[in-house]
Amino acid sequence: MIWLSKRRYILFMLIPTLLVYLGYIIMPVLISFYYSLTEYTGIGAARFIGLDNFSRLWQDSLFWISLKNTLIVLAVALLLLLPGSFLLALLLNVKVKGGNAVKALNFAPSIVAPILVGLIWVFILDPQMGMINVILTKLGLGRFALSWIGGKTLTPYSIGIVFTWQMIGFLATIFLAGLKMIPRDVYESSSIDGAGKLQQMLRITIPMLNETVKINVILIITGVFKIFETVLLLTNGGPNHLSEVMVTYMYNVTFTSGEYGYGMSIATVTFLLTLIFSLIYMSLSRKSIEE
Amino acid sequence: MNSMSGATTSSAVKEAKRVKKGRITGSFGMTVLAYSITLLIMFPFLWMILLSFKSNSEILNNPFSLPETLSFDNYERALATLNMGLLYTNTFIIAAITIVIEVLITFMSSYALTRMVFRSERLRQSVTAFLLAGLAIPAFILLFPVYRLTLSFGLLNTYASLIIPYIATSISFNTLLFTGFLRGFPREVEEAAIIDGTGLLTLGRSVVFPIIMPVVATVFIFNMLYIWNEFPFAVTLISNETMTTISLGISQFKGRFNIDYGGIIAASTLLIIPQLVFFAVFQRFIIEGMTAGAVKG
Repeated sequence: MIWLSKRRYILFMLIPTLLVYLGYIIMPVLISFYYSLTEYTGIGAARFIGLDNFSRLWQDSLFWISLKNTLIVLAVALLLLLPGSFLLALLLNVKVKGGNAVKALNFAPSIVAPILVGLIWVFILDPQMGMINVILTKLGLGRFALSWIGGKTLTPYSIGIVFTWQMIGFLATIFLAGLKMIPRDVYESSSIDGAGKLQQMLRITIPMLNETVKINVILIITGVFKIFETVLLLTNGGPNHLSEVMVTYMYNVTFTSGEYGYGMSIATVTFLLTLIFSLIYMSLSRKSIEE
Repeated sequence: MNSMSGATTSSAVKEAKRVKKGRITGSFGMTVLAYSITLLIMFPFLWMILLSFKSNSEILNNPFSLPETLSFDNYERALATLNMGLLYTNTFIIAAITIVIEVLITFMSSYALTRMVFRSERLRQSVTAFLLAGLAIPAFILLFPVYRLTLSFGLLNTYASLIIPYIATSISFNTLLFTGFLRGFPREVEEAAIIDGTGLLTLGRSVVFPIIMPVVATVFIFNMLYIWNEFPFAVTLISNETMTTISLGISQFKGRFNIDYGGIIAASTLLIIPQLVFFAVFQRFIIEGMTAGAVKG
C-alpha cells in the first residue's frame, strides 16, 4: 500500500469526513460549552458570566425535578428492563416454532420512531381516554384509575415503562448474542459434575455474561439520559414542568424560553453526567474488540 | 456407582437426544410463554390498529369491543388532513442525499485509516479514535449550536439544514463499521491490483467497493432508519410546512386533529406500517447494525 500512500492522497481521503466532523460535531460541542458560560438571549452578543449559570442551576428546583425524574426512569429501567430483557433472552434462546419471527416481533418496538411511540402510548396511559383507566373503570376499580401521565407523581414511572417496552427486544438480542458465546461444553461438563439448572444459571450463565450485562447497563444509562420525544408527546413536561426530564427541560429553556446560555449549561451537565458512563462503556468495548 | 464410564455414557445419551431435537428444544409450555410475551409486546400496535377502525365516540365509550362496522372513515380523514406524499418525499430525498454522501466520505476516510501507510502509527490510531469518539456525543448537545450554524449559513428550512447534521452524526458509526470490516479483510487483492498499475480512484471504485458491499448495505439501511425516525434536529431546524418530515408531521398530529382521536390513530397506523414492513424486509441488517453499534462501540 505504500505506493498509494502519498501524503496528498491520504489528505484527499480524510479531509471531507474530518471537515464535516469538526464543523458539525466537535465545534458544536465546544460552542455549547462556551454558551454555558454566557448569558445569551439571541439578541446582541453573548455576555460572558463565568459559572453563574451553574450556580443558578444548583438553586433551580425545576432542574432538580428534571434530574429526579430522569433518575426515576433510570431506576425503573434498571429494575424492570434489565432483568426483563435477560429473561426474554433466556426464553428466546429456547428453540420454539417460529422462533425467528418471535425474535423479530420482540425487536420491533425499538425501530419505531420514538415520537410515534409517544403517540401510541397516549392512547394507553391517558387518564381520560387511555386504555388502562377505561378497563379499570369498567371493572368497577375506578379508584385505581390514576393519572398515569400528566399528574403530579406518576409520569416518570410511566416513562420508565414505555422505555422498557421500547428497549426490551433490543437488549434481549444483545443478551442472546452473549448467551450464544458461552461454550456448550461448559454446561455439559458441569451437569456431569451434578450441577442443577439453578446452579448453572448462578455459577455459569450470569458470571459469563458479565461483559454483556455491563454493555446493557451502559446502554440503559445513556438511553435514559437521551429520552426526549416520548416525554414531549405524553406530557410535554407538564403540568408546571413537574414531569420534565433533563433533555426536555433543556429544550424548553433553550428554544421555548430563549435562554440559550442557561439552556446550554443544562445540556453540558446532562452530557457530563452521561459522559462519565460513556467512558466506562468505551473502556469495556475496547476489551471486546481485542478479544 | 462406577462413576466415570456410567456418567459419560448417560451424558452421551442425553447429548444424542438433545442433538436430535435441536439446540435446546422448548416444551409446549415454553412455546406458549414465548408467544404470550410476544403478544404482550405487540399489544400497543394491535390496540392502535383496533382503534383505527372505530369512530371517535366508540373510542371514548366502548374501546374494547370489535368495531361495529369496518369503517375506513378515520383513514379517509387522516389522508385528507395529512399530506403523506409530502412527508415521504421530504424524508426520502433527505435520506437519499445524506446516505450517498456519508457512505462515500466515510468509506474514503475509513479506507485511508485502515489501508494507507501514515508517517506515524500513533497518528493513524489517534485519528481513528477521534472519529469514534462521536459515539459518546448525544445529539441534544448539538441542537442549539447547529441551529446557530444553520442560521448563519442561511440554510434554515432547506434540505441541507438536515442533510449536513445527519451526515455528521453518522460519521462515528460508519467509521466503526467500515474500519472493523476492512481490518478483517485481506488486502492481497488490492495489492495485486496496485502492482498491475491501478490508480487510487479505480481501485476504490472497482476493487474495494464491491468487496465491502455487505457492510455498505448495513450502513445504508441503518442510517435510513435513523433518518426516518429522527426528530430533535428536524423540530429545531424546520419550521416551514412544505419541508416537514415524517417524524415532524407525527409530532403535529395532536394539534392538527385536535380531539379527533380516530384521525390521529389512523394517521399513526398509516405511518407505522411502512416502517414495520421495512423492518421485516431488512431485519437482518437492522439488528446487525444496532447490535454492532452497541457491542463494539
